[in-house]
Amino acid sequence: MSVSDLPRNESTVLRGHEGAVLAARFNGDGNYCLSCGKDRTIRLWNPHRGIHIKTYKSHGREVRDVHVTSDNSKLISCGGDRQIFYWDVATGRVIRKFRGHDSEVNAVKFNEYSSAVSAGYDQSLRAWDCRSHSTEPIQIIDTFSDSVMSVCLTKTEMIAGSVDGTVRTFDIRMGREIVDDLGQPVNCISMSNDGNCILASCLDSTLRLMDRSTGELLQEYKGHTCKSYKLDCCLTNTDAHVTGGSEDGYIYFWDLVDATAVSSFRAHASVSMELAFCILPLIAILELPPYIILPCPERLVRLL
Amino acid sequence: MDMDEEDFVFFGTPIEREEELTSRKKKAVAEASGHLRTLPSWKQEVRDEEGRRRLHGAFTGGFSAGYYNTVGSKEGWTPQSFTSSRKNRAEVKQQSILNFLDEDEKAELEGQSLGTSSQFDTFGFTAAEYARKQAEKEQQQRPSAIPGPVPDEILLPATESIGVKLLLKMGWRHGHSIKDLHANSQYDARREARKAFLAFSSDDAKAHCTKSETGEDYLGSVEQSINNDVQTSQSTPIFVLNPKQDMYGLGYDPYKHAPEFREKKRLRASDHRGPGNKKASLMRDGLFGFKSGKAAPGFGIGALEEYDAEDEDVYASAYDFEETFVQDQEVEEPPRPSTDHQPKLAWKEQGVLPGFRVASNSDYALERFDPPKIPKDFVPHHKFPGPLNADDKHTIPPPPEVLPPVDNNMKLLIEGVATLVARCGKLFEDLSREKNQSNPIFSFLNGGNGHDYYARKLWEERQKRNDQKNLALDGKLSTSVQTMTAETRGKILGERPLERSLKDFSSSVVSADVNLQFNLSDTFTKPASFGGLPAVEKPFKDDPAKQERFERFLKEKYQGGLRSIDYIGASNMSEAARAKERLDFEAAAEAIEKGKCNKESKFSTQQLEFSAGGGMQFTSAGLEQGKDAHAEDFMARKIYPKREEFQWRPLPVLCKRFDLIDPYMGKPPPPPRMRSKMDSLIFTSDSVKATKLEENVTANRDQVSLLQTDSQISKDVADGEKEVEVQVENVERPVDLYKAIFSDDSDDEIEAPTVNKGEDPEKKVEVAHTTLNRLIAGDFLESLGKELGLEVPPEVSYSMNKTRTSASKNESVIANAGNMNNLSVENMVSSTPNDYSLSARNKEVLYNQEGAEGTESQKNESIQGNPQGDSSRYVEPAPSDNRSGRTGFEKIAQEDRKVKSLPSRHRKRSSSSSDGERTRKSSRRHGYSSSYSYSDSSSDDQNRYHSRLKGRKKGSSREKSSSRKHSKHHKHRSRDSSGRSHFSTEKDRAESKREKRKWRD
Repeated sequence: MSVSDLPRNESTVLRGHEGAVLAARFNGDGNYCLSCGKDRTIRLWNPHRGIHIKTYKSHGREVRDVHVTSDNSKLISCGGDRQIFYWDVATGRVIRKFRGHDSEVNAVKFNEYSSAVSAGYDQSLRAWDCRSHSTEPIQIIDTFSDSVMSVCLTKTEMIAGSVDGTVRTFDIRMGREIVDDLGQPVNCISMSNDGNCILASCLDSTLRLMDRSTGELLQEYKGHTCKSYKLDCCLTNTDAHVTGGSEDGYIYFWDLVDATAVSSFRAHASVSMELAFCILPLIAILELPPYIILPCPERLVRLL
Repeated sequence: MDMDEEDFVFFGTPIEREEELTSRKKKAVAEASGHLRTLPSWKQEVRDEEGRRRLHGAFTGGFSAGYYNTVGSKEGWTPQSFTSSRKNRAEVKQQSILNFLDEDEKAELEGQSLGTSSQFDTFGFTAAEYARKQAEKEQQQRPSAIPGPVPDEILLPATESIGVKLLLKMGWRHGHSIKDLHANSQYDARREARKAFLAFSSDDAKAHCTKSETGEDYLGSVEQSINNDVQTSQSTPIFVLNPKQDMYGLGYDPYKHAPEFREKKRLRASDHRGPGNKKASLMRDGLFGFKSGKAAPGFGIGALEEYDAEDEDVYASAYDFEETFVQDQEVEEPPRPSTDHQPKLAWKEQGVLPGFRVASNSDYALERFDPPKIPKDFVPHHKFPGPLNADDKHTIPPPPEVLPPVDNNMKLLIEGVATLVARCGKLFEDLSREKNQSNPIFSFLNGGNGHDYYARKLWEERQKRNDQKNLALDGKLSTSVQTMTAETRGKILGERPLERSLKDFSSSVVSADVNLQFNLSDTFTKPASFGGLPAVEKPFKDDPAKQERFERFLKEKYQGGLRSIDYIGASNMSEAARAKERLDFEAAAEAIEKGKCNKESKFSTQQLEFSAGGGMQFTSAGLEQGKDAHAEDFMARKIYPKREEFQWRPLPVLCKRFDLIDPYMGKPPPPPRMRSKMDSLIFTSDSVKATKLEENVTANRDQVSLLQTDSQISKDVADGEKEVEVQVENVERPVDLYKAIFSDDSDDEIEAPTVNKGEDPEKKVEVAHTTLNRLIAGDFLESLGKELGLEVPPEVSYSMNKTRTSASKNESVIANAGNMNNLSVENMVSSTPNDYSLSARNKEVLYNQEGAEGTESQKNESIQGNPQGDSSRYVEPAPSDNRSGRTGFEKIAQEDRKVKSLPSRHRKRSSSSSDGERTRKSSRRHGYSSSYSYSDSSSDDQNRYHSRLKGRKKGSSREKSSSRKHSKHHKHRSRDSSGRSHFSTEKDRAESKREKRKWRD
């Protein structure tokens, strides 16, 4: 992917949110996207046509994260009401609510067998079983010493980044916990598409790329400002570039290898909160839109 | 009235007066309720409802029957309580008659409970029993001449066992013996002996029955032998015809081996006494009387007891007794023939059964082996074939002196490896060679570049070591020649020699201690860490002895395990010099640590050189500051990311949901996590409060009554100790301090250091921190002192407190000591690798501690301000100098307050979460939810959100700065001038306060 292929222009603006948008996620094939925010709703869009499809309302507080199963049938969302909602996409009904987190839930992800793992402000990672009728967590991991901000799942591992500066990998198959202490509060983690690296956004305005197998620090990406917000970061589909939001509303692209900021543009009037890359190699790169989710004044999702 | 009554005659029973009756009843009731209850249970009397004492039968307890006038058991009639739980199900109890029977009754019943059926009982036991029972029943039903049940022995129903049936089929007839009719007399005698044995061992009636049935021949033969009757005998079971009428013991037969005398006596009895029948029957009493004579008078042995070979000589003397007894009784009898006498003796001696002869030649012979022959030329002293520790190396000609390689790093490496090899033996060399085969740097091991130099170095090191060892050995030998110490033993066994100083020759007690310590540490530590020790570090290369000591120190430091109390140093060093050297070592070790992190040789050498100069450079503040920022940045980058790995146990359900196989399947659950003392120490709150109060009290007391300084001081010291004890006791109270730490935001505004505010949560934190600091400081100073083998010199510490500018060196004492402490803690942590949170928390503690120490060193009085921190300091103010002491104490009080407030700030900043994090936490409590929640008035919401975010930003930046500060403290604690840092923190604080207020609005 060349630099020129990187998204630069706004292609669509998805309007509808009545409050700041806190997260935006593509579905598995990149055809749909979900956004959630402070208006306590989750919205399903077709970003390519700019159509609002459905609104999911049930949360009592802001919705901080949402994720969709690989078969697009179920949603899971979490937020400030300390609950995790398990939705049916088609009907828009809540199938189950998982209570158990002692405070706000920052992130939630499905695994491929429709179990969910959530990361909370209560310094814990909780695994939930969506198939059983039990609303109790399957397992609680509370080795973190601060709020867990973000979680990634692989087939065998759960990876979570925490404000205590650690990225912890819980290898279920091996039964071990690998702690990578980055020394800086970790805001968001994102896995490379080949699964070998972890990109961690730290609160010292640095993105750090880590080798998962060795724990080695491969590269640091600087230039943006990220000191207090939860700003998403991710790698592009080809793993050629690293992208991340900045607190000044810019979105930065770095070259993966030499860490030069190859592209940056002002995407938002103010802080850009979230951005997400669709993880699908089929779609051409120009269609791979980083979505910039805006805080209150704009209340929209921008498709770039 | 009386008169009238005498006159009249009464018939019938008089009707009792109603009142009397009721009164008695009342009394009974009253007694039953009140009186009885007061009495102890064994004094209570049972009365009927009429109030009369109830009389039981005399055999059932008279007036007080049963169990304390209750029913006859302890439980009485108390109904059984029914308890049943899920774990412990109450079983349905089937009561059977066996529950209520005594032992003997049970034994009686046993015949019914289990036995062979009549068809299969070979010996007819069950059948006989059954028949007997049947007969009993019949007996009861029909009237008989003899009232009561007839003894079994007399009336035995005839049953035929399968054996008898078989015999009958084989042509045997009742009353005939199976034996050959014309058996010789010797055969008879043997049989008799056997029968005697059988009779003796048969212990119940059943046995008798069987005998009487199955062994009719035996009975017949008895008859035969006794009466010389005809051989035919009754086919019916024999009755007991001769009841026991003599005074002998049961089964005793004085005529057993001399039946002729029996006959004689019978005849004589019939002659002398009128009723000869009696005597005749007496003569026949030998029915069961066949037995060996020696057990006869059996004092301790029961008549029915098993006859064992062991028991025989217990009653060895019984033989004589029997003889005399027999002769007493039967005076007329002639003395027994010696032929009878002799075999008996033989039996007794050899334990041979009657009828058995002792074999003339026995198979069993005790085999004896000769001890192994020691060769003539054997010397009882073991010589080891291999070289122990290069003892023979003396003979090897020294390699030629070679110029060191040009590359300094190479040189260092070679030297390091040589030292290690010299210390650890050839094995290390082989190992490292194998490991670094591909590494070109280590080619000198294989004879490549620099090999000559390496060989030379190795030789030198070995030489050095040998000299040292010899010296040590000589010293040892001079003191104690014969005793083999652990060291020598270890040496002989080829263990890694323990590093010993010359010092312990001076006192044997100390040396013993050291030995123990070292052995323990050796057992606890892993050699891997030692191997991992980089060989490059040679900060004291100009002074090889010092370098050696340093290495020893390093090893001790990083190897973990128990710390040796005694510090190894040269004996000729003074205490102060040793302390100084220790500090140097600490500094150097720290520098090496850094250097290791850097990995860049350039930087590391720089660092090394910097530290190589010793303590002087380290303490010069200007130099440090110059390096500081650079080094720190570098540090921060290079330390992270750190990778640690722990065991983690996914629950089986999780594995199932992830479609994985549980790695811990079938393994037991992990043990609960270990908590270190440090870990729990930080969570003290109640005790802290107490100490705070106490502290104030003592401070006041000091101010008021300072004239009796001496006693006061000692009291203070005691207080200090007490406090420490209290601390240690109340170690596990995690919740409150958490509260104290995190719930104090609302009280942040009250920042002014008030004098006596015991209950202020802010204070609480402060106190917690100060006490913790003090504890730690005191602890590590104490331990440092111990390690140095000296009391912490009061002059030094005092001057440290006094001198502000030139205190740097002493500060480094603290710093280093703190560092040492840290390292020990870190060691602890690393020893429990599973517990991440623990380590994190420990780290936290360390940070706090360091922060506090930073403060301490900044404010020189701060240590003094902790009156109970170190007792030795308090010995310092001379009793004569009351005035100054007073002012000092006042100052202490003030400073104490200041310090208390200061570390708390540090604590806050350096607490587990960052400050920004903390603010978030606080806002979570106060207004976070509302601020983060959605509200319809968008502008308001927006504002709030923004402000919050700003606050967050601030917080994070602040956190960053503070964290940087901490890392600075971590390395160079005494860098900042006290005022500056104080102010800056104040400013920060104010800002944060403002910030927080803003959000709350």
